[in-house]
Amino acid sequence: MAFLEIDGLKKRFGNVEILKGIDVELEKGGFLVLVGPSGCGKSTLLNTIAGLEQITEGEIRVDGRAINDLHPSKRDIAMVFQSYALYPNMTVAGNISFGMEMRGVPADERQKAIDKVAKVLQIGHLLNRKPSQLSGGQRQRVAMGRALVRDPKLFLFDEPLSNLDAKLRVDMRIEIKRLHATTGTTIVYVTHDQIEAMTLATKIAVMRDGEVQQFGTPAEIYNNPTNLFVADFMGSPAMNLIPATIATKGNALSVVLQREAREPITLPMANAPAGLSAFQGKPIIFGVRPEALTDPEGAERNASNIATADLHIEVVEPAGSDTFAVTNLGGKPVVARLRADANIQPGTSTPLAFNLTKAVFFDPATEHRIR
Amino acid sequence: MSAVATPSRPAASQNASSGMSTKTLNRIVIYGLLALFAVFYLMPLFVMLVTSFKTMDEIQNGNMLALPRAPTFDPWLKAWGETCVGLTCAGIKGYFWNSIKMVVPAVLISTMLGALNGYVLTKWRFRGSTLVFGLMLFACFIPFQSVLLPMATILGSLGRFGVTLQNTVGTSFGLGNPTVNLVFVHVVYGIGFTTLFFRNYYEAFPNELIKAAQVDGASFFQIFRRIMLPNSLPIFVVTVIYQFTNIWNDFLFASAYAGTGDSMPMTVALNNVVNTSTGVVEYNVNMAAAMIAALPTLIVYVVAGRYFVRGLMAGAVKG
Amino acid sequence: MSSVATTQIKLTPERSRPSVRARLQDALPKIVLAPSFAITIVFVYGFILWTVYLSFTNSKTFPSYVITGPRAYLRLWGWTFDSDPPSSWYTSIVNMGIFGFLYIAICLALGLFLAILLDQKIRGEGVLRPIYLYPMALSFIVTGVAWKWFLDPGLGLEQTLHQWGWTSFHFDWIKNKDFVIYTVVIAGVWQASGFIMAMFLAGLRGIDGEIMKAAQIDGATTFQLYRRIVIPLLRPIFLSAFIVLAHLAIKSYDLVVALTSGGPGGSAWLPSNFMYEYTFKRNEMAVGSASAVIMLMTIVAIIVPYLYSELREKPR
Repeated sequence: MAFLEIDGLKKRFGNVEILKGIDVELEKGGFLVLVGPSGCGKSTLLNTIAGLEQITEGEIRVDGRAINDLHPSKRDIAMVFQSYALYPNMTVAGNISFGMEMRGVPADERQKAIDKVAKVLQIGHLLNRKPSQLSGGQRQRVAMGRALVRDPKLFLFDEPLSNLDAKLRVDMRIEIKRLHATTGTTIVYVTHDQIEAMTLATKIAVMRDGEVQQFGTPAEIYNNPTNLFVADFMGSPAMNLIPATIATKGNALSVVLQREAREPITLPMANAPAGLSAFQGKPIIFGVRPEALTDPEGAERNASNIATADLHIEVVEPAGSDTFAVTNLGGKPVVARLRADANIQPGTSTPLAFNLTKAVFFDPATEHRIR
Repeated sequence: MSAVATPSRPAASQNASSGMSTKTLNRIVIYGLLALFAVFYLMPLFVMLVTSFKTMDEIQNGNMLALPRAPTFDPWLKAWGETCVGLTCAGIKGYFWNSIKMVVPAVLISTMLGALNGYVLTKWRFRGSTLVFGLMLFACFIPFQSVLLPMATILGSLGRFGVTLQNTVGTSFGLGNPTVNLVFVHVVYGIGFTTLFFRNYYEAFPNELIKAAQVDGASFFQIFRRIMLPNSLPIFVVTVIYQFTNIWNDFLFASAYAGTGDSMPMTVALNNVVNTSTGVVEYNVNMAAAMIAALPTLIVYVVAGRYFVRGLMAGAVKG
Repeated sequence: MSSVATTQIKLTPERSRPSVRARLQDALPKIVLAPSFAITIVFVYGFILWTVYLSFTNSKTFPSYVITGPRAYLRLWGWTFDSDPPSSWYTSIVNMGIFGFLYIAICLALGLFLAILLDQKIRGEGVLRPIYLYPMALSFIVTGVAWKWFLDPGLGLEQTLHQWGWTSFHFDWIKNKDFVIYTVVIAGVWQASGFIMAMFLAGLRGIDGEIMKAAQIDGATTFQLYRRIVIPLLRPIFLSAFIVLAHLAIKSYDLVVALTSGGPGGSAWLPSNFMYEYTFKRNEMAVGSASAVIMLMTIVAIIVPYLYSELREKPR
């Protein structure tokens, strides 16, 4: 039995179904990230776990106990909010201990708990300040301190890093990861940032329109997206999704990609998924991540299926650590990821290698993966 | 009223591009107009003030705008302690205190109710809460003439009930007391405004703080007392000032429900002093009485003008 | 799935116990709001219905509860100018028209004009603004007393100008039954225009500075800038200011009493004065109620569409 179990959870506002039957579970000590575009229901799902919103159907269990009818304060959870939600009229110490005060914990015990948390998060010198006197990163720490001090079964994070600037966000991300590693707590974390999802999670649930599109480990989600949406949403720069057709060459299938003003490219598929044979002569979506489309020297050595083709480069974007080259296939811009020192000029033709072992295929009608 | 007729001048000044630099001319015209209007707004107060320090002799023979030749404080003392209101000649001090006794409880009660209502209407929405708010909001705008008569009837009945209680139990519990009546009336017809103020303020109050407090285990009232109230000082100041000014300045309810006798509020007493038809009219005393009636709200305005304006705006423009 | 079922069964008795308290907790917000709501329903809406009811009876000194039809309304509309002096209801209505139109128009124009002047980076704005605005802190009674003195031909402006040598100056509107209502307009404008100025000024300050810069780069003169860009952007303020002023105008009662005591022969009456006089002094309760209902209907016609659109804006 998993530690956190969400079974057939539905949430309706009047006739509008916000959550359409969510099934997710998480082992003890796991880190579940709910990710998706705004309006996908991820925050609502988190709020129902917290008890801040009622559910219409289904059940939420923590450690085998159903908690969906309990008041938020009785669920043994702690929550870190996007705006940190620090009480502006209380000091940092007051913020951290407010929950204990509400539960009637005596003052000396509260003080001990505050000191302990302050030490972990290194905010001892801030305890007597008001939230308005803190920097963004310090507020973030206090918000985490307020959650930590409760020593809850479950931590809930609602987009905790989205109000920080880029550099601080990376620092705090590492800090959260370290915190998770050292304390071994179970965390549910909401974000719209797929990099946060990839770096932090042990499990990711990609959501759209109140449904979980795919639930799995970061590697599964990244390498084996179940549909077009997940493939497109996860990864930066995004996966190239190129309209293509399937042709037969001898007894092997091949992918045909249209090019502008030149004859199409044909990529032979040595190990095509079984489902692909049903699509002979039909349009499909061919998915290849930018790192699987690179200069022949930079291509993965031990990949079993590599095909090279001459491509017309339209734009070159040197990004420091990598260089991105943009070409056009099937009427869409396609991004290739090259070494930083790759010698490549816009307006020229360059041979690029497709790592077809990593390629995925989607049915354009259903948007599902072809396996 | 020459001041009102001048606004056509800036357009003309724009055509006068030659000669002195247009810009300088523009500035002179603008400052001139602004000064003229400042005189327009200050004049009545100035006249009231200087008159209140003049002797009757000086008023009858002198110029309205002239400063008092021999300033005397007597009109103020007379207005406060001796002038006749109706048939009683004990000055307006009693009525001043009547107003205080009415204003303070009415302001406090209506403000507290408004704070609670605003809290519920923003942080604990329920089906139909917008309708409830709409109905309360509309109550701010009704002409009070449309409720004046039924309220008089009800207050009359309560007064008779109070007399019965007085005779049987020994206390009327304030029923029938005009000051209590006015407190009640001002609370009833003030909660629309106070609710509007707090609702608009709390609307911008982050919901996440409420959620955090819920997770922390705070109850409905604990959230209100520990989270909302300590962060509501600005809107409290605005609401208290607004209510204070409105209730202090009210004349309609005061004259309808406490229009005679010892319990009338300041505004009614002032009107009686000024419009009395018996004896010699003592203009200096009248002006002093008017100044005394105006002072509390003027002081509030001078001390907390910023909040005063914000209150008026909040009453006028939604959120 | 069977494990799910058993946990649920096990938990049922435990769940039902806190649910009574939980339900109370859930109802608490409504319980807190209920007294205020009940007060509003009874003392505002109930009383309005009561007044409407009374207007259809023949109540005189005391309320009568026998419906006698719209006699009060017929009497109101039956009174015309033909009588000499004209009936007080017609005078009130006409006064309301004159006062309402001039008061609102002048306050809006003057308020906007002053706001634009003050928005020209004026040194001493901090001194001028409170001077324009302070009359709003005064009661109508005090305003009335002050202006009564100021406009009195024997004591005020006229006499002062005579002393200064302008002996032909004549200004006795406050004693003239045809002009007394205009003195109410003057005092009313004096009191409210500063506040309207503050509203417009807040609106002007709220306009995005980049829009102004863009218009200047496009070559707009100051006059064009205000006419074509600024004033159209202030439309919501115009609406709010109009609502405030209309509401103040229809409620005005104190000012007429204090400034004019009703004017010669009731010539300065507004409907609010008519209502008060007929209800409490002339023992014509039904007629007074009918006039109150008409006042209310006027307000409703202005306010309800406004409130409806305001509350609609952010649907929840």
